[in-house]
Formats: sequence, C-alpha cells, structure tokens
Amino acid sequence: MPGETDTPIIEVRDLVKNFGGVRAVAGLDMSIYPGELHCIIGPNGAGKSTLFKLVMGIQRPSAGTIFYQGRNVTRLKPFERARLGLAIKFQAMEVYQELTVFQNLFIPLRRHHRPKQIPEQAAHLLEQLHLAGTEEKLVSNLSHGQQQWLAIGMSMAVRPEVLLLDEPTAGMSPEEVSETARIVKDLNAGGTTIVVIEHDMAFIRNLDSRTSVLHYGKLFAQASFGEIEQNEDVHRIYLGTM
Amino acid sequence: MNSKGSALDKYLGLLNGPQTMGRGLPFWLGFLAIVAALALGPEFLSRYQIINFSNFLISGFMALSLCLIWGYCGVLSLGQAAFFGVGGYAYGVVAINLLNAHGNTDIAFIAGIIIPVVFAAIVGGIMFYARLRGVYIAILMLVISLVIGTFMRQTADPDYTIGAAYLGGMNGLRPDSPDDPLLPSLIFGFGQTIQEFDGRSVSFYYLTLGLLVAVYLGLRCLVNSSYGYFLVGCREDPERTETFGYDVRRIQLSVFCISAAIAGLAGTLYTAWGTYIHPDGFGVAQNILVVIWVAVGGRKDLSAALIGALVLEWVSLRLASEGEYALLVMGAILVSVMLLAPTGVVTTISDVIERLRTNRAQAEGAKAPEIRKP
Repeated sequence: MPGETDTPIIEVRDLVKNFGGVRAVAGLDMSIYPGELHCIIGPNGAGKSTLFKLVMGIQRPSAGTIFYQGRNVTRLKPFERARLGLAIKFQAMEVYQELTVFQNLFIPLRRHHRPKQIPEQAAHLLEQLHLAGTEEKLVSNLSHGQQQWLAIGMSMAVRPEVLLLDEPTAGMSPEEVSETARIVKDLNAGGTTIVVIEHDMAFIRNLDSRTSVLHYGKLFAQASFGEIEQNEDVHRIYLGTM
Repeated sequence: MNSKGSALDKYLGLLNGPQTMGRGLPFWLGFLAIVAALALGPEFLSRYQIINFSNFLISGFMALSLCLIWGYCGVLSLGQAAFFGVGGYAYGVVAINLLNAHGNTDIAFIAGIIIPVVFAAIVGGIMFYARLRGVYIAILMLVISLVIGTFMRQTADPDYTIGAAYLGGMNGLRPDSPDDPLLPSLIFGFGQTIQEFDGRSVSFYYLTLGLLVAVYLGLRCLVNSSYGYFLVGCREDPERTETFGYDVRRIQLSVFCISAAIAGLAGTLYTAWGTYIHPDGFGVAQNILVVIWVAVGGRKDLSAALIGALVLEWVSLRLASEGEYALLVMGAILVSVMLLAPTGVVTTISDVIERLRTNRAQAEGAKAPEIRKP
C-alpha cells in the first residue's frame, strides 16, 4: 500500500469534464502510486470511463491538470502519452477483428521489438494469457473471454508503466473472471501499475487492492476494498445492490 | 546462411506477406505467366489494341493508388483523380517549358510525381490534423478535384499561361504555339542516349508494363512490412492504434502522399500517352470509376484491385464500342457486386478457393493450410 510520501505515478488535480450540460467529472483529485493495483468502482455515470479517457488523452478535460510521473501531460496527445508509458484497454472490445491473433499482437509489439523478435515475444505473451497456440486463428474465432485477454495482452505488449483496464471481465464466465484476476495480479506482480474499473464485486474482492469510489464525477471514498465493503455511505450509493 | 541469402529471404517474405492475397509457387508462376502474356502482347495484338492496353495499364496505377489509401488504411478518397490531373498538368507544363532546353522530359516526369505529393502533403496535412475522417474526407477530396477541374475549364483566356504552356480551358493544356498543338511524349535521357517513348509505340507499352509491375511489387513489399501492419491498424481501429504509441495522423498522411505519387505517375503516363490533358481528368466520372474498379475487384488487396481495374477497363472499352451505355452498365456491375460480393469479386473468389482447400485438407486429416490473413 503506498505511503503519503510516495510520488504518484498518475495524479489528477481538480479535473473537470463537461458534455454539454452534463458534468461527467466534477473537480476530481486523485492519485495512483507506482506499482499499485488500484480499483475504481462507482455507479453508472459516475465518470469512471471518462476519467480513463482523460488520463489517456482520448478526451480533453474542460478544466484541471493531469500529471504523469510528475510531468504535466494534460495537453499531450494519446500517442505521446502512450510513448511515456501509459496503456489502456477500453470498455468496448478492443481487438482488430479481421486479423489473426499474431497480427493483433504484432502491431503493439513492433513498438519495442524488431520483426524477428516478435514471434517469440508474442508466444511468451500468449502463454501468460492462456492463449498459447492460437497465433494463426482469426480473432473473430476466439471466445469473448479470450478476446478480452488478447486485448489486455495487446496493451501489455507495449511494455507500459501504467495499464488502465476498463471493465476487463465484461461478459465473462465466472471461471474466466477468476482467471482474469490471476492474469491481472501476475502483471502487477511483474511491476506494472494497474488501474481497473469494474462492476464485478467478486473480481474486485479477488484483487483485494486499494479501491476508489467515484460518485457524480468526484472521489466519494478511498480505502482498502475490505473497508469500502463496510462503508455504509458506499453501500447507500452503490454497494447496496450487492 | 550468408547475408545475401538472408536478404533474399526477407525480400521474398515481404512479397508473400500476410497483407496480400496469393503466395507460394502456384501464385508466382501464375503471376509470371500473366506478365509474360502481357509482354508477348505486341506479337499478337494490333497497334490499336496495344495503344488501348497501354491505357488499361495506366488505369492499374490509379487502382493501386486508391487501394493503398482506402483498402489498407481505411481512408476513402473520392478525389483520387485530383492527383492524377495535377500530375498530368505538372508533367505537361514542365515538359513544354524544359524540353527544348534539356532535350528530354526527365524533370517533367519527376515533377509529375513530386508535385502531386506536395499537393497531397498540404491537403492531407490539413485534413488529417484537423481530425477529419470517414465520409468527410471522401467528400472533401471529391470537391477539391471538382474545384480544380472547374478552374481549369475557365482557363481558355490566352493570359492563362505558365511560361510556354497554355492551360487552354476545356481544350486542355498545350504549348503556346499554333505550330505545335501537342504535348511532348516521354523522352528519357540516359547520359548521351535519348530514348523516346511515344504513347502509340510498343516501347511505351513496355515502359508502362514495367513500371506497373515495379509499383505492384514495391507496394506488396510495403504493405507486408511493419508499415503495412500500421496501415491496417489505422484501418481497423485508429483510436486503438494511437494508444499503442503510433502517430496515426502521420501514418495516414504518409500513405496519402504515397498514393498521390502513384496517381501522379498515372497522370504523367496518361498525358504522355495521349499527348493531351484536359479538365475532364478531374471530373466526377474519372473519380468514381476508380472507386468502382477497386470496389469490384476487392479493395483490401492490391492484386484484386489491379485485376478489377484491368478487367473493367477492358469491359468498358467493349461496351463503348457497342453503344453509349458503358457508364450505366458499370454502375449496374458495382451495385450487383456490392449486393452479392461486398468485399469484391476477386477477393470473394479467393476466399472461396481458400475455404475449399481448408475443408479438403481437414477432410483428409492433413494439417490445414494457414488461414489467409486479410
């Protein structure tokens, strides 16, 4: 668990994002620390996915500042942030449907590897993701869960410092959810800072990490998941439906 | 393996790579047979047919140009003829002004390629960095092409000259001299040797065929390289590709310029072939025909797009000799293909053959052939 004296790897200050008259993110202050596995939960419309898009640079904030490793990256483009070490797996399925598994991995792997090194790197990643032997399969022939894992693997292929995972278990079976938790914990144990948005409480409980609760675009609560589960106010706005 | 062997392997690897249809010995034997048949064409065809075949081959460059930007990078341009026309006019203007001084059209030939690239860099830079995408780019390019064509139609006034070149309005570009109404043919200077490629000669046919084969093979290598993967990434999901650290707009702009160079080469060859270029080169029909060739053949593969262009140009010529409904029939062909084989006729046939081979291999219990990668 990070201490107060650690320098955040990601820090957002007074972050605001308006969509017309709707304020999706409303003056959010939040920090993520190096090496952390951090979960973000909250009701639909709390601003979780918007926060990820702002951090990655997919959307521009209406106000506020985003720091990455102490550097102000608010005005940087997505590819510039990616080159600094940020990676994301969006909520929607983020694989190239018409390509094979190997081709899906080739594109992100090529960022740091020569073409001759890529087959070995791809095989190593697929091994980690329980997708070994699927290199030549068209992605559209994979199961939903396998596609989600591949999407995570593609994000990992660029060797990020920070990986943002938006609902990585959406549509998965309980077994696949459990396996995804293992994959995420393994990646985090390898030194990658991981931030996860999820609605699946069994998955969050399995990760057992520091957890932030967003509500109406603001940080509502932040503690270990055990403490969050016991928080009456969080129950009232969100977990009461468990 | 020595370094020479490795280089050869790499070259063949790119030619046979994952982003292009056709690989292995049967495909390349077929390819060599087609090139050989085209090379032997002058032995069997009349002069008139050879002149027409030269024009067909020029249309192949346009198909490759659009296939690269649309099929591989996902950017549909309905104004590819703008680069064709700019290339043609650039060649003509420079050739008229420099032929007498230099005795060849080397600089004009280069200008016919480079000036469309500069034009594409300006237009594409504005389009891509303004984050235009999809139908907006398609329409904007068509408008640009039509605006240039409209302007060129209004250049009949004798004041519209660039040096010794008179733009000529509807009548097209020509030298500003009543004694010499035609544009120069291609004349290359090799040291002290001068080689002329008259548009109606067999040598021009061979030059065009050689250039088309070179551009086709070069593009195969390009799209099968890492750069080709980036293009496909931009086509499939540009936002996702950017999150891997790739500057998608720069990739789109670069491929836009490459496609403009190829279209400019087509315009240059066309102008040299007919010794004329006029504003119709920028028109709607010219722009849409390219889209039809590529869509009917198969936009996601260079070979399919090229076959589409050559076959449809031949069909168009046959129809034109039968009556005046060629364009209507071409439209009907496009509609039929869109309904029956939306990925293109050649691509669909290739997929069916591949599926049959896979099924047969599985039925025999043999190892299935590799899935054709798009």
